[in-house]
Amino acid sequence: MDDRRPGADRLPDGAPESVDPPVDDPPATAETGPRLSRRSFVLRALTVVGGGIAAILAAPVVGFVTAPGWRSSRAVRFLSTSVAPTLRSNDWTSVGKLLDFEVGVPTYVLVDRPVVDGWAQETVPVGVQVVRQDEAEVAAFDPHCTHLGCPLAWSTGAETFVCPCHGGSFNAAGEVLSGPPPRPMVRYETRVDAGEVLIGSLPEGA
Amino acid sequence: MHRIGRWVDERLNVSPLIAGFLDRKVPGNIGWFHTLGSATLFLLIVQIATGIALSMSYVPSPDHAYQSILYIDQTPFGGAVRGIHHWAAGLLVLFIGLHILRVFIWGAHRYPREITWLVGAGLFFIVLGFAFTGYLLPWDQKAYWATVVGTNIAGSAPLIGGAVMEFLRGGEQLGAVTLARFYGIHIWVLPALLLVLVGAHLFGVIRQGIAASPRRHAIVASDPDLSRREAYEREYAAEKRAGKPFWDSLLKDAVVAAILLVVVVALALTQGAPLEPRADPNATNYVPRPEWYFLDMFQMLWYFTGDLEPLLIFLVFTFGAVIFLLIPFIDRGTARHPRQRPIAMGLTAVVVVAIVGLTYLGASATPAGVVKIPPTDGMAQAELNGLATFNEQGCASCHQIRGLGGHTGPDLSRAGFRWEPAAIRDQIVTPKDTKMPSYDGLTQEQLDDLVTYLTSLK
Repeated sequence: MDDRRPGADRLPDGAPESVDPPVDDPPATAETGPRLSRRSFVLRALTVVGGGIAAILAAPVVGFVTAPGWRSSRAVRFLSTSVAPTLRSNDWTSVGKLLDFEVGVPTYVLVDRPVVDGWAQETVPVGVQVVRQDEAEVAAFDPHCTHLGCPLAWSTGAETFVCPCHGGSFNAAGEVLSGPPPRPMVRYETRVDAGEVLIGSLPEGA
Repeated sequence: MHRIGRWVDERLNVSPLIAGFLDRKVPGNIGWFHTLGSATLFLLIVQIATGIALSMSYVPSPDHAYQSILYIDQTPFGGAVRGIHHWAAGLLVLFIGLHILRVFIWGAHRYPREITWLVGAGLFFIVLGFAFTGYLLPWDQKAYWATVVGTNIAGSAPLIGGAVMEFLRGGEQLGAVTLARFYGIHIWVLPALLLVLVGAHLFGVIRQGIAASPRRHAIVASDPDLSRREAYEREYAAEKRAGKPFWDSLLKDAVVAAILLVVVVALALTQGAPLEPRADPNATNYVPRPEWYFLDMFQMLWYFTGDLEPLLIFLVFTFGAVIFLLIPFIDRGTARHPRQRPIAMGLTAVVVVAIVGLTYLGASATPAGVVKIPPTDGMAQAELNGLATFNEQGCASCHQIRGLGGHTGPDLSRAGFRWEPAAIRDQIVTPKDTKMPSYDGLTQEQLDDLVTYLTSLK
């Protein structure tokens, strides 16, 4: 297009440069079949060698970087769901005495839990919404919206958990009342031991 | 200076290359709109320079990230550099968007520049990737919660969603691994891709010459015997004969770059770079809001509900991205002038209005859950009591009154006009709609006042 461009004299525009000049390839004959020129052979060999080098380098690099994705233990689902950002712990942690919780009214509790955050093993405060259901039963919820993980706050007036992002709301039992959340609030494993409420793990992939 | 130049030239013989680059002819009708691409490139260079400087005082670990940002802000010029990086990032998203718009309206994505469009579209996604990963690095509240939401949206893809999300976060939870990964992506992966694609984009622009502004009638009369390539080359050669040398248009680019620099530095010095409190994963009253350039996507999520929502989000975003990439293969044809492409221009207007509108809605939407409706003049005591109950009960979480409040339930600004008092009372105590919780715990007096208040809204 632009003849004043440097190098334009060597490469006419519009005419694709031939990688394999046909003069170099001996004509195919009925007896010998198609024959490779030395040039074509070297170029093909370079492609194979180069591709091999790239693949061998890429395998550990890509494998390492993507490991968190494919090493995950969670089941593949057609419809993916959001995952709470909460730092995970498998310990049983006390959140308080059962009888100190009012029935049907969520209480926000911050408990120190031992977590593994990548390379760091540390004890960090983790927020839990604890709701006593009756004399013996209790539920503990992770306080993140199941829509996109925004922080849920209990609104005492409306008696709902309200999400500030897209207006999702849940009742004290963690069930969806309105808005976009696709599933109930995420529950911790709980057990009551000698009057103490203990929370365990979050469900896998929740 | 000239002696050094001659010394280099004697060895490398670069002056013909430089002269060829500067003196080559470009189409004549190149105007101010053509500076949008170079403005984008200029902002990218600003980002690379300031980003490299920031990386020398920043630590990508939850323990230290926030402190290192505070340290940067206290170091001489540190606040200015971070401010420039922040404001230029916003302008970069704006200018790459305007550049895309200019290219599409001018029809410059058409034959033979499809590859340049594809590369440019890739650059647009890279810029959004920069914005998304750069966000998290200060490890403040905005950073943390935007990443919670963003990784969950990315994880909404069917089948691979879970793997994608865990790839981004480096596991299920959001923590130290996530921050390190985002840092690595932000300062190594994306810049490497960026440099390659910017190189390819500029190669395309220089090799093919910049697309001429569209004309309603070609300079050269059409000739049915010519191939597409020949016809194009003949027309473009005519454009260049009527054109001017490339160096002549560089002044406009420099003026725009200088103005942008002044704007960015002024914003950096007067506004600084925003920094919220340190990320608190246990915050319960924080209202996550993305930067303005993601508000349109964020706002769109209001409109999808139900089990299929993740699929819908994924389909809408993916569909949009694929259409955008494939535009040169969809919008073909030879007439490039906007007036000759009414459908394309109409759709463009719809998309622009939708993006601006969603951004505006997202920016002006009052967050649910924290709203209190203020009283107005001349309200009776019973109405004031009713309003107090309305606010105590958090009704504005779901209902709007005069533009304040949530969107989940109906707007109550004209409740007294729309419903009878008895119907309002019934709806509060025994809602017919399952989305609304029943407020049967109110005292008779509270209920009376609340109904009085709502009935007064006309």
